[in-house]
Amino acid sequence: MATTTGSTETPATLHKAYRKSVWLHLGEALLWLLLICIAIIEIAPISWMFSTSLRDPKNSFDLPPDFWPTALHWQNYLTVINSPDIEFMLFFWNSLKIALIVTGAQLLTCSMAGYAFGRLRFFGRDILFGLFLASLMVPATVTLIPSFIIIRSLDLMNTHWALILPSVTSAFGVFLLRQHFKSLPEELLDAAKIDGAGYFRIYWQILLPLTGPALSALGIFTFLASWNNFVGPLLFLRDWDKFTFPIAIATIRGYMGSGNQSEVLAGIMISIFPLLVFFLLAQRWIVQGAAITGMKG
Amino acid sequence: MTSTALPDEKTGGLTKRLTGMTLARREAWAGYLFATPALLGLLAFTALPIFASLILIFLHYDLLTPPKWAGAENITRLATDSRMFKIYWNSLRLVVGATFLNNVLGLLLAVGLNRTMPWGIRYVLRTSIFFPVMTTTASLAVVWRFLLTLDRGVVNFLIGQIGLDPVPWLSSSTWALVSAMIYDVWKSCGYLMVIYLAGLQAIPAVYYEAARIDGAGFWQQFRNVTLPLISPTAFFAIVISLIGAFQIFDNVWVLTEGGPGDASRVIAMYIYEKAFRGFEMGYASAVSFTLFIILIALTLLQFLGARRWVHYE
Repeated sequence: MATTTGSTETPATLHKAYRKSVWLHLGEALLWLLLICIAIIEIAPISWMFSTSLRDPKNSFDLPPDFWPTALHWQNYLTVINSPDIEFMLFFWNSLKIALIVTGAQLLTCSMAGYAFGRLRFFGRDILFGLFLASLMVPATVTLIPSFIIIRSLDLMNTHWALILPSVTSAFGVFLLRQHFKSLPEELLDAAKIDGAGYFRIYWQILLPLTGPALSALGIFTFLASWNNFVGPLLFLRDWDKFTFPIAIATIRGYMGSGNQSEVLAGIMISIFPLLVFFLLAQRWIVQGAAITGMKG
Repeated sequence: MTSTALPDEKTGGLTKRLTGMTLARREAWAGYLFATPALLGLLAFTALPIFASLILIFLHYDLLTPPKWAGAENITRLATDSRMFKIYWNSLRLVVGATFLNNVLGLLLAVGLNRTMPWGIRYVLRTSIFFPVMTTTASLAVVWRFLLTLDRGVVNFLIGQIGLDPVPWLSSSTWALVSAMIYDVWKSCGYLMVIYLAGLQAIPAVYYEAARIDGAGFWQQFRNVTLPLISPTAFFAIVISLIGAFQIFDNVWVLTEGGPGDASRVIAMYIYEKAFRGFEMGYASAVSFTLFIILIALTLLQFLGARRWVHYE
């Protein structure tokens, strides 16, 4: 098979090459078909949600469905935002506040620990780092019940601390940043040490600026995980005014979903709108980040 | 051991050695200080919970009355809990189906996207396929619940257009779990695609050039170059998607609420309900530990099995 190309153009080899190219084109065509079909299936529910959120509520269940806005009933959005029983924009602030605090805290604690484990020598370092690695294996489902008891005994039920405290650090983040700190060249640090830089300055002014991709990947996915967290709020929050978006939407569907599809969908659109904007602006880093966090896990 | 304690007439060599020591000590102190915040978090919300749940297994605890010693009762009860086995069977089917579809689709999409095509088309395709990964599982499950409604649902309308009968997606015990699987694949195949895409882009182009010179066609290149070289990525992707799929919760909680009956209840939901609806903290911990053991065993098995099919360069 190795030597057939281009040597003798007998009808047999021509026929073979032709057959090969037919298979090639068929494979190509199938891949294109798959890509386009999947892309349509992936985006259709979202465009349906957007189109239906703009329908007059009394037509919200009408068929055929819209995958493209045919009505522009923006009032649905105002109705949701100005709803008398629930302060919808409060959910936005709750979600945003928790996600920002959690992201900031994780970036700080994980990068500090990553620096310690990747760049400093101290007694017990490898054992401690081993603990972090081992905890990567522990599924969240297992720690759910005792975490609940701990939060309850700290008297933090129905507060946002119940969502923030368990997420101030992550074993995965420590691992990711430790690997990145470890991969930076030693000469950089030597130069800084000779210049008399202390440990904090080395960490803050030299190492952190060089870990941009890993830091942003960790930040993006921490933010998303917090914004999309459902079990935590379900477990710890009781009052409407404490709710974050995911739990608020699941609850709203319960009491107004059967009557008014359009307004529920308008609510969901508002809750994912920040993600959409963020994604369109920073797609490159997000996709790269997904690959980084995925590959290093 | 501070430097002020040193007599002035000591030699330079000794001072050097001592400052060397203090440097090492300073470095150690810095190390502990930098690691402390993360360590505290790990101890309070991972290590402590694990030990607590190891103890909880041997207790009867309903949150309201003080815990009572249960001995091995919670553990022996596991063996007779036929409902748990039924729910594990649901979880297993969901996990196998979702992991298989997510990985096959993820790889195919990545192969499709990893070719020369105009920048705009690549952007549109990648954006549409990846965006669901970013969205909130619970909220989009609400959307899918509307889409899959029996009477006025969009999906049944569309399959009616091609002449098929409406499917009771959420209300029949055969379809409820399938719907959860469809939703999970819709939600996460884009993530797998990105992971496989990164794996594909790490394969040096020379291998494909060599294969082409040898006359390998599209399929042969895929079979003999792509598959072996993507196998470490695939191994990793399968491990994380299995672990993730065993813990599916929000998806089913919103989409089918575990119903009808127990037809689509999964193990994470069962643990949650035993603990926070039935207030059987001890027994729920015992169930959660069976999940822990299963996940560890599965991961170990995969690492052992990996020798047979994962090729490292």
